[in-house]
Amino acid sequence: MGSSLRSFIKDVRAAKTLADERSIITKQSAKIRTKLRDDHLPLERRRKYIQKLLYLYILGEKTHFGQVECINLIASDEFVNKRLGYLSAILLLDESQDLLTLLTNLLNNDLHNSNKFVVSLALSTLGSLSSPELARDLFPDVEIILKQVQDPFLLKKALQCIAKLLLKDISLLEIFAVEDLVALWQNSAICTHGVLLGIVKVLQSILLCFINFQPTEAVEELPKDMIGKLVRFVPSLFKRLQTLNSKNFQPEYDVQGTCDPFLQCEMIYTLRLFFQIDNDEINAYMDKFGDLLTQIATNTDSNKSSGQVILYETTRTIFSLHLDQPLRVLGINILAKFLAGKDNNGKYVALNTLLEVVPQEPLAVQRHRKFISRCLHDPDVSIKKRALELTFAILDASNIKELVNELLQFLDGTTDDDSDLIVYTVDHLVDAFDIHTIAGDDWKLSVFLRILKCVGSYISSEKISDILIEINNTNNMQSKHDAVKQLLTETLENEKTNEITDDNHGWFLVTVWCLGEYADLILGQSANNIVNEESLTRLLIELHFENSLDNPKLINYILTAALKLSIKLTSGKCIDQLRDLIVSHKKDSHLMLQVKSVQYEILFDQPIDVRKSILETMPKFEKVVRTTSDLRNRPLGNTPTKKESAKPDSLIDLLGGDFGSSSNNINSNENDSKANNVGDNINPETTDAMGSDLLADLLGGNNVNTSLSLNKAVSNSVELPSQAQKIHESSSLDIYSVLINSENGSAQIDIYFEAKKNVTDIKCQCAVTKTLKLTMGPLHPSASIKEKEISVQTLKISGSGKLKLRTKLDFKVNGIMTNEQFDHKYDKVI
Amino acid sequence: MAIQFILCFNKQGVLRIVRWYEKIVSAEYKKTEDLIAQIYRLISSRDHKHQSNFVELSAATKLVYKRYAGLYFVMGVDKNDEEAIYLANIHLFVETLDSFFGNVCELDIVFNFYKVYMVLDEMFLGGEIQEVSKEILLERISVLDRLE
Repeated sequence: MGSSLRSFIKDVRAAKTLADERSIITKQSAKIRTKLRDDHLPLERRRKYIQKLLYLYILGEKTHFGQVECINLIASDEFVNKRLGYLSAILLLDESQDLLTLLTNLLNNDLHNSNKFVVSLALSTLGSLSSPELARDLFPDVEIILKQVQDPFLLKKALQCIAKLLLKDISLLEIFAVEDLVALWQNSAICTHGVLLGIVKVLQSILLCFINFQPTEAVEELPKDMIGKLVRFVPSLFKRLQTLNSKNFQPEYDVQGTCDPFLQCEMIYTLRLFFQIDNDEINAYMDKFGDLLTQIATNTDSNKSSGQVILYETTRTIFSLHLDQPLRVLGINILAKFLAGKDNNGKYVALNTLLEVVPQEPLAVQRHRKFISRCLHDPDVSIKKRALELTFAILDASNIKELVNELLQFLDGTTDDDSDLIVYTVDHLVDAFDIHTIAGDDWKLSVFLRILKCVGSYISSEKISDILIEINNTNNMQSKHDAVKQLLTETLENEKTNEITDDNHGWFLVTVWCLGEYADLILGQSANNIVNEESLTRLLIELHFENSLDNPKLINYILTAALKLSIKLTSGKCIDQLRDLIVSHKKDSHLMLQVKSVQYEILFDQPIDVRKSILETMPKFEKVVRTTSDLRNRPLGNTPTKKESAKPDSLIDLLGGDFGSSSNNINSNENDSKANNVGDNINPETTDAMGSDLLADLLGGNNVNTSLSLNKAVSNSVELPSQAQKIHESSSLDIYSVLINSENGSAQIDIYFEAKKNVTDIKCQCAVTKTLKLTMGPLHPSASIKEKEISVQTLKISGSGKLKLRTKLDFKVNGIMTNEQFDHKYDKVI
Repeated sequence: MAIQFILCFNKQGVLRIVRWYEKIVSAEYKKTEDLIAQIYRLISSRDHKHQSNFVELSAATKLVYKRYAGLYFVMGVDKNDEEAIYLANIHLFVETLDSFFGNVCELDIVFNFYKVYMVLDEMFLGGEIQEVSKEILLERISVLDRLE
């Protein structure tokens, strides 16, 4: 190629600065543009400019002005022009352009050219760059090559081209003659590996058309007899594959001692597609296929990467076709071999595949947990991540101790870079403890403490709540005592050991909470214990001091802990210090803390027996039990149902609450349960006028002045439950409803809004018959939802009568106010 | 099973070869430059001795890549495809280039990019592998090369 391209490339490379480079490129680009416009420029010169244009293309510059020129070059009779023309067409044009129609005639001519190199160029171009129209127009021309040409070099290209065109327009199946394919397959003189590859590609295209077929107006059905004609390929594919696989040495196709792994893989994949079609004739070969795969699995060398490729394709086939159990176990054992090896690519694909097949063969996968655990410590983060997912996928009651220990070791070795993995691990660990009953509270609590100590700064507040619930609900008092003791001791000793970093908010939150709840379990045990009244009081004061500026949540917990601790202490001095701590927030600019401080001060002044009954240790917390299958099948990002998600929140609420701004609904489900919970705790005799006011303040808390978020900690996406019934649809919203319960005198209905467009400021007003009373909750997660997102609103209905709902909706679409109204009758009377 | 694109860039992220077989439609990357920049970021940050040769790019595409001296060869393939076979494809491609140019280096590819495309088009057609024998490929390419 010409020296001017060379010198252009040299100039660009020699540019000292980016600005220099830019100026060279802009100049050249302008020059190419002007020159190509010159009609009298000889083709030889044009070629030079197109070459430079292609270099500009690689550099990422604009090249659209050269598109027509490619077509001019293709139209030339000279091979060199055509070659450059086709290359530039492939690079510069794309399949959606009108210019493509200009190519039709040129391609048509060149497909019949006497020069096989020209035909080859045309085939390559058509294979890379075809629209459905082009496919229809030129398909017969390519077919002619299949019928008439004997040159494997052209045949393989024509076959690949056919495979592409069939996918472009499935109506071409109607005219494609399977007999041509059969004839080629049987003609051993021309059947090189390239041609074989081409044939299996065409088979794949046809099979994929059948597998993915959806009737349309243009193509209502595919030719019925086609599959029948293809069946004969199944046994002959078996034969070829077997010959290839069984150490049939051919030097030109040998890759590390394996004969043509490329073709072997393509053949296995093609057979897989055959068996995905439900056809009796094909299914009759199923057993033989199983035998063949077993043979391949045993024959192929798993130590070489070329062998691994084939083994991997074999296992993928076994699992995607749900072949018999022995084969599946064989597949898993192959993957385990990859896992045990040193090669990271092998580990990566093995973990990926195992993740998919765990549901099919959980036990067989579990058997290899040692190798899986080893991958937790791999330096490659993508391998670590998959090993983690897989560990949780195989975790069950029988292996939880072993696997959790592995996970703890993994957490020990993590760094800041792994924060995503840590969050993932902790979330799933806490859930795992939730769904599997574990013998031995000791062990469970010690695991929690270890997690907190190791990665407490990464744990979400939702999961901290879950951990608190686990501690709270521990039956074994000795275990609870030991855990609390360890927690407090380590925190107090931290001044010296410095094992817990200041940013470990999770650890401190749990410590503070346990201190408030359970300090009395530890206090007064022995005289020289590090945990004593003074040290605990001091701890609270220090934590309070260190966090008062930036961690209102912890301060909130500290206030409650101080109040609760006050009834467990005997030292007047310490009690006074706690009182000072609480009172110090009376003028806090944080409204929530201020309210709390004022309320707690009043409470502080109550007689000791009143306080004791109010501030007793929390009762056992009722949990909604999640089933194992729920958790296993839960994809990331899926939200638990509303009742479940309310669980951690209501605990936070009890403790003084999370901070938020959405409006509080005192009648909602969550608050009811909260009231009940604490209600258990109240001695009715002490609820004199003053006391009950206080209680109301303490519980319902902050609805006096501030608002309380019920939903803040809940993940922000809502999913439509399966039993939801569509009650209204419009151009912007679909509305569904679920009747959660309807018992004597009360009912709860959830209304789901699914947006079809981006909708903002939804306001929903509902009316029920006069005999019923309606209370509405806030829209969750938001009154503004994007397309396909869902928001839910809870309605609580009490009274008696027929359940009928009239709903009026105001909302904005693209800022324009819209309103809609509809009625819905439920088939229920309450 | 088809290759969506093939890229070759050096350690600094300068593109040397680019070939799209499928139009990559993605809301995230409106411009091809952004997509290529993201691919470079993903791959160049990896430890090529201790990490696998596969990276996920998007919900539809994963990358299979290998570094040879200062050059990365990257293929974008369907998320559900078998990664390992494409790695073998890349290796065969680079081996063929190596034999064709005789100890290929980055400069060979820079100055002879059109010849690299010629090799590419003899080995792949529309994103599918069409020839797997290095001998056959080299024989064919040397004939084509002489047709200048």
